[in-house]
Amino acid sequence: MSAIPLGAFIAVSAVLFFIGVAGVLVRRNAVVILMCVELMLNATNLALVAFSRRAGIADERGSVFVVFIFVVAAAEVAVGLAIVLASYRNRPTVDVDELHSMKG
Amino acid sequence: MSYGFVESVVFALLTIGIIGAAAGIVLLNRITGAALLMAFTFLCMAGMFVLLGAETIAAFQVLIYVGAITVLILYGVMFTPQRDRAYGLFFQKQTPLAALFVAPIAIFVALYATTFRDAPTAGAKGSDLVPLATSVFRDYAFPFEVASVLLLAAMIGAIVLVKRDEDE
Repeated sequence: MSAIPLGAFIAVSAVLFFIGVAGVLVRRNAVVILMCVELMLNATNLALVAFSRRAGIADERGSVFVVFIFVVAAAEVAVGLAIVLASYRNRPTVDVDELHSMKG
Repeated sequence: MSYGFVESVVFALLTIGIIGAAAGIVLLNRITGAALLMAFTFLCMAGMFVLLGAETIAAFQVLIYVGAITVLILYGVMFTPQRDRAYGLFFQKQTPLAALFVAPIAIFVALYATTFRDAPTAGAKGSDLVPLATSVFRDYAFPFEVASVLLLAAMIGAIVLVKRDEDE
């Protein structure tokens, strides 16, 4: 068997996911928040691939989900950046604290 | 040097790269630097996939994340202003209280992660290309088609969102 236990990969995935959560909560630039969302998606990919390769299943079920996450991440970043640029055209800021016109 | 030792060293280097670069994205105030660090994180993640024996996923990772998504994010950085601004929630007086709440959760997650063990039966061996292709195009053929519709909708949506009106 491999020298690295499965838990090590899951630990790296968990740490990366929480760094992404912290980035979304702490940073105020909309583009940086998109980057941190990508970090979270990538952490999920690592956990899925690790379980898929080490769980002893014959088919690559987890890796298939990773392929679909790639698709959704690409769609998300394209639409997200389009929304950021459209909102920047209306109000010249990408600071999410200043974009509060839809606040109740 | 045995193969296992080299594997452990590579894993340690990749872990340092991933965690360090991800922390840099959150802490760095220069957005261009954060975008390039994000590309480095994705590259290290591709190395992790190779270490797990998922070469096809690693290739997709380099193509889609390091190639396409980083370029898109850099375009976003190019079109928006970069202004230094203090962090929203960092270094306030609630930090010790927050640490008090977060520490038990962090310890629980760290302990829980080490409980995962490899399956006793040997898992998937060799290249993952053939089983992955078999799964995607036979068992998951319908979600694959739906994903193509999603990409088309996202492309049209992005074009409509950033298009300028002609009469402006």
